[in-house]
Amino acid sequence: MSFNAADLQGVLPAIILSVGALFLLTSEVFLRNVRPAVLGHAGGIPTSPAERVEAKLPPGAQGASPSAVTPPDRRYQAWVAAAFAALGLWASLAQLGDPAIAIFNGTAASDGFARVVAAVVCGSLLLSCLVAFGYLEALRATRGEFYALALFSASGMCLLGQATDLIVIFIALEVMSLAVYCLSAYLRRGNRPAEAAFKYFVLGSFASAIFLYGAALAYGATASTRLVDIAAALRGGGSGLLWAAAALLVVGFAFKVAAVPFHMWVPDVYDGAPAPVTGFMAAAVKVAAFATLVRILLGGFGDPVAALGAHGWQRLVVWLAGLTMVVGNLLAIPQRSVKRMLAYSSIAHAGYLLVAVAAMAGPLPRQDAIGGLLFYLASYGATVIGAFGVVAIIERKLALSGAGDDLSSWAGLSERHPALAAAMSLFMVSLAGIPPTAGFMAKLTVFRAAVSAELVPLAVLGVLTSVGGLYYYLRVVVYVYMMPTTKPDAVMGERLVAAGLALIGCAVLVVWMGVQPGAFASVAQNAVAVFSR
Amino acid sequence: MTESVFFWIFAVLTVLLAAQVVLRRNPVHAAVSLVGAFFFLSGIYLLLAAQLIAILQVMVYAGAVMVLFVFVIMLLNLKEEEMGHERLTAWKIIGGASIVVTTGLIAYLALGNAYPTGLLRDMARTQPGFGSVKGVGQALYIASVLPFEVTSLLLTIAVVGAVVVAKGKI
Repeated sequence: MSFNAADLQGVLPAIILSVGALFLLTSEVFLRNVRPAVLGHAGGIPTSPAERVEAKLPPGAQGASPSAVTPPDRRYQAWVAAAFAALGLWASLAQLGDPAIAIFNGTAASDGFARVVAAVVCGSLLLSCLVAFGYLEALRATRGEFYALALFSASGMCLLGQATDLIVIFIALEVMSLAVYCLSAYLRRGNRPAEAAFKYFVLGSFASAIFLYGAALAYGATASTRLVDIAAALRGGGSGLLWAAAALLVVGFAFKVAAVPFHMWVPDVYDGAPAPVTGFMAAAVKVAAFATLVRILLGGFGDPVAALGAHGWQRLVVWLAGLTMVVGNLLAIPQRSVKRMLAYSSIAHAGYLLVAVAAMAGPLPRQDAIGGLLFYLASYGATVIGAFGVVAIIERKLALSGAGDDLSSWAGLSERHPALAAAMSLFMVSLAGIPPTAGFMAKLTVFRAAVSAELVPLAVLGVLTSVGGLYYYLRVVVYVYMMPTTKPDAVMGERLVAAGLALIGCAVLVVWMGVQPGAFASVAQNAVAVFSR
Repeated sequence: MTESVFFWIFAVLTVLLAAQVVLRRNPVHAAVSLVGAFFFLSGIYLLLAAQLIAILQVMVYAGAVMVLFVFVIMLLNLKEEEMGHERLTAWKIIGGASIVVTTGLIAYLALGNAYPTGLLRDMARTQPGFGSVKGVGQALYIASVLPFEVTSLLLTIAVVGAVVVAKGKI
């Protein structure tokens, strides 16, 4: 009764991503520093004038002094990481139609839901690697560990999507979180990144501890950590212990998805972490955390009494969703830093996603709510990675010139770089939820699910707060197109091959999901069947 | 009856010493309290018929891990003035009180009848081989093989992450 090939095939995306990470770590061993005296100008020394300007480094950067030894060429790493992410994406999509099976003695499941989650995670990773390429190269900070940690965290996210046992969920959660803590601490120039990483680590560990307490209480009540056993125990009548466990598990994940009042860490962490990492965090971590929340709530506590009863979790999630939507949107309005604004907007979007989770409590429209949640997660991922991709391009110029992040640095972007300006506007429009973009369709499906679950007040609140969100999203568009350029910068002429690819990918996805949501909805249908009763 | 007496002795001492770990200013005092907490916790494991875990708890945690902690404290070598002052703010009082009330409520409502004469201990007693080396091994390598393997992934990340965070600024 050990494990067999079917078990391993079930966790194939996670295995592919881990192998990719180990490959990148091992490849670092074989890199040699290049001595120009011997080998000439090989290995990443800027030759064209544009690159030479780009190489003007901020104070304190490694390799700023023209030493005799130049670091090895590490440009292959982003492409290798992206290739492994694409392989993981392919593996999860190839298995999409296969029947759902329980693997590893029922501690995990290989089903449509897990595969869709893995596909979204791998897609986010692929786009984030491309965004990170130019950013890290410009700051001379490319290291194998960066992409290895990103791959490791994505493999933890894939496992989170398919875990059906509280122990596996906890360990996979730690795999994901630990790697992301390190990624947010990766670029430690100045105090802010260090502060952000430390805050994230301490509060994240706190959230993990709360989750663990909930898991322990669930075990105490049911003598099992399997979600199916918890569901069976609930059918026999819940106890106070199980209600406390459900509440603590929800609170643990409310920290991870940044729901109000557990959102305090978000602005500082999103602001302090490197922009490509922030995009990955906003997209992929949210996907994994929401997927696990759904697994726990529907797989373990999906019983109508546990969901809708007097002590049911629906009420808890409804309050969280309402608070998160209102507070997230209100706090985003006064922000002048685009990164901070996107951080608060990420809190607001967690609120809309929680609306979908609350709508899942009822038995009838559960399909719509799950499909809507997955569609929302995928569309938000594509949009936010694109938005942070543009921020990454602007931010590295700011880092090179030593200026802070402020809306004024976006003024007149359309004159300097029309393509970037158009992309940023598209992403802002999608985040605001204006048709014909992905953001509009996503909000529409989620609010429709809420209405059919008889959560009309929550849907109304969602629409009202979205209208409030228009202000701060469109302000960026106003700055980009209508404000005169204040400070022309010389470094705009560089090539943005990888980031350009990523931004085009994101933009195509955003428009495609907005115009033809049916194609994606049919993919999500594979996932929905898992939780139907 | 004797089990109940032992349970309360171990439980009260574990909680008191664990609280000392957080409340003490001096890191050495905190570390010594942690040793005590680990030790009495292993007593509770014994009452739950988990002998192997109890022994591992003493050997690994109270022994090896604590030596590491003490080494780190020694290397940091904090001065008296670096430890800061105790400040009792209103938030600390509110926070501490709410933690005590919440935990106490959960313990009273839910755990009151699970320990020391409840479900978990009975389950442990009725399973042959529970708590033995063989029983733990089977639970670890057969029933929980996936979490076991993923833990190795976690440790790899911890090592890589520690290097990334600790080495010079990138």
